[in-house]
Amino acid sequence: MSLDFSEPQRQSAAGILINGAYIVQRFVRAMFIPLALFIFKSNKIALLYTALGLVVVLVVSLIYGYFYYRKFTFYLDTLKQEFVIDKGVFGRKNLTIPVEKIQQVNINQGFLQKLIGVYSLQIDTAGSDSKEVNISAISGQIAFALKEHLLNGEKETVATERNEDAPLAAQNLQKETPFIKIGPSTLLKIGLTSNYGQSVVLLLGFGYAVFHNIKEVLKAFDNDNGQVEQFFKSGITLISIGVLFVAIIFLLLATNVIRTFVKYFDFQISKHQKSLLISSGLLAKKNTLLHPNKVQITEVSQNYFQKKIGLFNMALKQAHSGEQQSDKEVRSNNLEVPGCSVNEKDEIMRMILSKLPADGNSYQPNFRFVNLPVLFWIVLPVIIYNLVFYFENSVRPFLPLAIGYVLVAAMMIYISFKKHRIIVSKDFIVKQSGIWDISKEIIQPQKIQSISTSQFPWHKSLDIGHLTLHTAAGNITFSYGNYTEIKLLVNWWLYQVESSEKDWM
Amino acid sequence: MQEFTNNTIDLSTLPKYEETALTAPDSKYWQIIVINLLIFLFVIGIGLAAITFIDEETRANWFIFAGVFLIFAAFLFFIFRASFKRRGFALREKDLLYKSGIIAETTTIVPLHRIQHVALNEGLLSRMFQLGTLQLYTAGGSSGEIRIAGIPIEQAKSIKEALAQSLVEIRKTTTE
Repeated sequence: MSLDFSEPQRQSAAGILINGAYIVQRFVRAMFIPLALFIFKSNKIALLYTALGLVVVLVVSLIYGYFYYRKFTFYLDTLKQEFVIDKGVFGRKNLTIPVEKIQQVNINQGFLQKLIGVYSLQIDTAGSDSKEVNISAISGQIAFALKEHLLNGEKETVATERNEDAPLAAQNLQKETPFIKIGPSTLLKIGLTSNYGQSVVLLLGFGYAVFHNIKEVLKAFDNDNGQVEQFFKSGITLISIGVLFVAIIFLLLATNVIRTFVKYFDFQISKHQKSLLISSGLLAKKNTLLHPNKVQITEVSQNYFQKKIGLFNMALKQAHSGEQQSDKEVRSNNLEVPGCSVNEKDEIMRMILSKLPADGNSYQPNFRFVNLPVLFWIVLPVIIYNLVFYFENSVRPFLPLAIGYVLVAAMMIYISFKKHRIIVSKDFIVKQSGIWDISKEIIQPQKIQSISTSQFPWHKSLDIGHLTLHTAAGNITFSYGNYTEIKLLVNWWLYQVESSEKDWM
Repeated sequence: MQEFTNNTIDLSTLPKYEETALTAPDSKYWQIIVINLLIFLFVIGIGLAAITFIDEETRANWFIFAGVFLIFAAFLFFIFRASFKRRGFALREKDLLYKSGIIAETTTIVPLHRIQHVALNEGLLSRMFQLGTLQLYTAGGSSGEIRIAGIPIEQAKSIKEALAQSLVEIRKTTTE
C-alpha cells in the first residue's frame, strides 16, 4: 500500500458518479415543481419526451462528471509544504494552500457516498471560501492518510525520526479509543433542553413553505377558493388554541430531538497525537481533526434545565477571515460539542487551554447597563401602547398581556445585567453573558489581536467605559465597567501580549 | 480597587497607555475635511434648491428649509471639528495607539506582533496636501483595525518602513 501524495493524482473513479449525481440533483431540485406539474397535466407522448429529456440530462451529467474527474488532480508539495489542486473542465483553476495555514480538515460521507463507499474531503483555512477546496470522492484510506499528512506536515519536516510512526498512526486513526462519547440517552436530554430558537425558526420556515405550497398546488389545479385560509380561520376557538399550543410544543421538542440525533448521532472525540478528532452524524458522517492551538475562543454554555441535569454545551471557535462572511460559514468554523458532563468539559478544556481557568477577579458593570434596554424594550413600547390604548378600543382587552410583557422584559433585562461580567486571572479572560443560555467565553491573553476602549463624554465624571477585545474568531465586549479598572486591565493584557513569545495560532 | 494577588508584577508600574503623548493629525488635514464637507453640503444644497424650484409649496416656505440646512451644516462642522481635535496616534516600542471618535472617545491599541500587513493610501485631495492614510490590518477583522488619516506623507512612509522592519524582526525571533 503506497500512500504517496507528492505525485499529482485523481479522485477515486467513483467520483464520476458522484459528480454526475450532484449535477442531476441540482437540476432536479431546480425543476421539481414545473416537472411535477407537467407530469400531472400532460398526456403520454409528452411524458415520453420528458423521460427522454431526463435521460439526456443524466448522460450529459455523467459525461461532464467524467471530464471533471479527468481534469481534477491534487498533490502535496512536500518541499514547499503546499497542497495543490488543479481543476476545471472549461476554465482551469489552480489552488495552492500552504499546509501551515490549514485550520481543519473535514471528512464527510453523504448518503450517496455511503452507498458507493467513498468520502469527501474539505479543507478549511482562515482565509478561503471552504467550498473551493473540496475533493468529493476519495477512498476512506486515502482520505484519512491525506488528512494526517496535511495536519501534521509541519512536524514531519522538523522531526524526521518520528516519520516511521506516521503511517502506522494513520491506520490507527479510526481505531483510536474516544475519550468522549455521547450516547442516545444524553442526545435525548440535549434535544429536550437546548437550541429552541433554531427549531422555532425551522418550524416557522417549514410551516410557511407547507402553507405556500398547498396554495400553489391548489392554484395550479384552479381550485383555490381560499379553503386553506378558511380552514385556519374556522379552526380558531379557545379550545383549539389550547390544543394547538400543546401540539406546537410537542412538535418543537420532537424537531429538536430529531435534529439533534441527525446531527450528533454517535458523537465521538478522541485524542490523536496533539490534535482532536471529532466525528458525528446519522445520515452523513462528519469527521473533523483540529489543532487545539488554533482554537481562539472556547465557549461553554448552559441553560436552567441543563444546569439541573449537569450538561454543558461547548463551542470551539476558530479564526475566520476579515472579509464579510455568511453566518453559515462562521458556524462551520465553530465546532460544537452538544452535551458533555463536567468531567468531559474539563477534559476538553485541558486539551485546548492546557489547564483549567482558575478563579480570578470578577468585574461587574455599572447599573447604567440597563438604561438603553429599558428604554427600547419597556419605555418605548409602553408609550406606544398607551397612545394606541387611548385612541383605539380594540387593544384594550390585551392589557393583562401588556402588563405580563413588561414584567417579563424587566426580569430579562435584570438577569442580563446580573450575568454580564468578566473574570480575569493570570492566564485567562472569561466573559459571562446571557439570559436563558448563560455562556462563558474563555480566551487566553495571547489570542488578543487588538484592544479598544471607549467612553462617552457624559460617562467621564462617572468613570464608566466600555472594553472590546478583538480576536481572530470575533470580539469580546464588556460594557459599562469601571473605566479605571478597565485601563488597568488593558495595560496588563498589553504587557502580557507584548512581553510573551506565545503566538495566537 | 481590586488587586491581582497571583503575580509578582506591580500593575501600577506597567506603562500606561492612557498617559501616552499622542501625535495629532496634521493641521492641513482639517482643510481636507472642510473641503469634503463643503462638497457634500453643496450636493445636498443643489438638491434642495431643485426641490424649491419645482415645488410651489416648498418655495413658499423656503426659509424653513434654508434654516434647517444651515443648522445641519453648522452641526456637521461642529461634530467634525470635535472629532478632529480628538484624533491622535502614538507609535510605542511594542504597539501602536490610535484615539478617535465622533461622540464616544475610542482608543484602539494594536500590538506590533499582531499586525498582518500595513497599507499607505493617498487620496486625490491628500496628495495635493502631501498627506497620507496609514492602515494596519490584523487577523481580528475590520472592527479592531486602525486607520490613521492625515499624516504628512514623509512621516507616514517612515512609520510604514519602521513597522515593516519590526514585523520582519519579530517574525525572525519567533521562528528561531
